[in-house]
Amino acid sequence: MKAPVFEDVVVGQEIPVVVKGPMTTAHVMRWSAAMENWHRIHYDWRFATEHDKLPDVLVNGSWKQHTLVQLLTDWVGETGWLWKISFQFRGMNVPGDTLTAWGRVVKTETRGPYGVVDLEVGLKNQKGDEGTPGTASVVLPRRNGPAVPYPFDPGALGLATA
Amino acid sequence: MGVNYITDKVKAVIGAESEPVEACHAVEPSEVRRFHHATMDPARRYWDAEWAKQSRYGGPVAPPAFPVHAFRRPPDAPDPLDQTGDPGFDGRNRRMRPGLPPVEVPLVRLLNAGYDYEFFRYARHGERLFVKSRFKDIYQRDGKSGTMVFVVIEDLYSNERGESLLKMTNTLILR
Repeated sequence: MKAPVFEDVVVGQEIPVVVKGPMTTAHVMRWSAAMENWHRIHYDWRFATEHDKLPDVLVNGSWKQHTLVQLLTDWVGETGWLWKISFQFRGMNVPGDTLTAWGRVVKTETRGPYGVVDLEVGLKNQKGDEGTPGTASVVLPRRNGPAVPYPFDPGALGLATA
Repeated sequence: MGVNYITDKVKAVIGAESEPVEACHAVEPSEVRRFHHATMDPARRYWDAEWAKQSRYGGPVAPPAFPVHAFRRPPDAPDPLDQTGDPGFDGRNRRMRPGLPPVEVPLVRLLNAGYDYEFFRYARHGERLFVKSRFKDIYQRDGKSGTMVFVVIEDLYSNERGESLLKMTNTLILR
């Protein structure tokens, strides 16, 4: 995938999705073990369903966030920068779910030799239920302009930090 | 109006800020590998040393939010699984951040409500990681399933040169 430049981006544009799944308990176990996350709702079915009254073991929110991060790092490539991303864990995801990370451009603004692009993002299951709504801002180079400086310093670009 | 969970003891920790806490080991390539395998993100910046040397990173890096998960149990710390004999133990540590005092609220379920990130640079393989945390706010709301307590934590992650990697705001719900 060719990294986008600011002039390629228009409000309303959908960026390429990232699809994961169907998720299985093995995927959830692999992440929990890699992170040494011992929260029983992620691997102990009896605890999850009987004690915590959940429908099944849950896909970790901490795992889901990385799929949203990847959606944007894949899109901006090595010349842009994922500056900010924010999301809420509203819906549960369980084994059997196929998750699609999506993003839609809501605002574009030039900033010197760079462009700032704001997006709506989310992570839908196979039924189209949105479980992780959020927003993000990325910084892109302009056509024939320099790559976004790395490391990223929002102050140096005149961008207000949160 | 139900129970007031925001007692003076809880109020006293709002604004509490930790000293920088260092992760018990530096960023390990194998830990990065297990991370990007588990998230199924094969981007070469995380593993391809040859490619990464020529890239803007100067060497392989860890995924953007990796530092958030890198604060593992030190070799000599108590085993959290010692408590699993208790059928009600959910496996989560109520100590929300290593450097912050406990939030003494008698609610058993802990949910992660969401994250707010600002990224500045990737952690390089081999770098030491530090985090400075602060209880930004703690408040309660009445919801359908009863009263919930929201704990908002702000974390600033940096490397051993004091370079900022990322800033994160995490909202946890006790209910």
